[in-house]
Amino acid sequence: MPRILIASDDEFARELVRLALAGVDAEVRCAGCGAELERLCARVLFDMVIVLRTAPFFCGRELIGRLRPEGLRRPVVYVLSWQQCEQTVLALLECGVDQYLTFPVSLQRLRAKVVSDLAVNGL
Amino acid sequence: MNLLLIICAVCSGAAVVGLSVLWVVETLKARRQGGFRSVLQRRYLHIVMSALYSGRGAVPRFPMLRRVGSRLVLAETLAGVVSMTYGLDVGLLRQVVARYGLDRWLLRRVRFAQGYRRARYLALLAVLPVGEGIPPRMARYGRSRNRYVRFFALMTRVSAEPLAALRRLADHAVPFSDTEVAEIMTWLRRGALPVAYEPLVASPSFNLRRVGLCVVRQFGIEEAEPLLLRLLDGEEPYASGTEALFTLCALHRPLVRREVSRCVARLSPSQRRALMRYMAQCSYSPQVLSRLFDDSESAYYDTIVRSYKRCLV
Repeated sequence: MPRILIASDDEFARELVRLALAGVDAEVRCAGCGAELERLCARVLFDMVIVLRTAPFFCGRELIGRLRPEGLRRPVVYVLSWQQCEQTVLALLECGVDQYLTFPVSLQRLRAKVVSDLAVNGL
Repeated sequence: MNLLLIICAVCSGAAVVGLSVLWVVETLKARRQGGFRSVLQRRYLHIVMSALYSGRGAVPRFPMLRRVGSRLVLAETLAGVVSMTYGLDVGLLRQVVARYGLDRWLLRRVRFAQGYRRARYLALLAVLPVGEGIPPRMARYGRSRNRYVRFFALMTRVSAEPLAALRRLADHAVPFSDTEVAEIMTWLRRGALPVAYEPLVASPSFNLRRVGLCVVRQFGIEEAEPLLLRLLDGEEPYASGTEALFTLCALHRPLVRREVSRCVARLSPSQRRALMRYMAQCSYSPQVLSRLFDDSESAYYDTIVRSYKRCLV
């Protein structure tokens, strides 16, 4: 069964996304955005990580390198945030984020994207 | 004398101990309340999402709604769901609001609250799908001295009656701030109202022009260039002209034009520096600047380009 991690310090947003993915055939886990995220990713190889903030990617800690072991395409990294600035989105995609969605987000679309990405990766 | 000193020491000691105990009790109470609130919100969110995904259209029951603060938690939960998503079944949420009387309850809270607290309740009303009776009651808050109260009263009316939205936005007497425009854009992005950028940008209302320019910037509408150039040449350079200039930069359009030079010449030194910072962010070449700014100002641009912040971008 594929594993999905939802990372956010905002408990409400985290719960909302978790409930939106309730019907997906996957093990969904939640974590805070800071050290907890890195610790979990170091212990478990997730198939998808959904981060609900952009700040962890711009704090100079090379987050993608820590989430995704070298040579692997997993985990697929999604970022959901309120930011719409073109520079921010480009910077995120350049540093290895696979998908960027802005709030307000369509939960049906998010679910469909998650399902299709998991299917593409054969999970 | 010694006895008096001892009595004073004992009294002050007792006061310190009493206050410490009170502080500990209050802290524990607040923590318990916070924990309860968080648990209740999670539960309500779960119920709302289950009802939305079940597709049965039945209004769900929310436990402990009679407890103090529970109604506010429910209102915040619904507002959170509506503001962070689009494409959900608004009909069901409207039924929940009507069934539990959340709009009328919030209206009562608005009436008895003051200042920012009132604005907070109005902000919740602005997001919730409220009944028809609410918008007319917002007129009195539209005349408030508090800017936030005025704005969220406007947003409540606008979200409740989307067809009259543009007229209401145009009628708003005070120019929108950047955060207010961002709030309107978030509302538009939820698909509340299909808008065309042209009538907005060409509108005589300053507020509608600002919203229109924001639409152009956010969606990168390059076809709006002729309209932007016309705004640059307009009579009010410190209002829409400056913003049109920034919008042209955001679209990465060529800036070596007569209209742009004229507009830049009218800007104050601080506005010119702000423009240069924005141009650096939008990756304009320093060569473009030689036509728009003099040499001393171009040196400032070079310092921005060479700064470590630029390297990060």
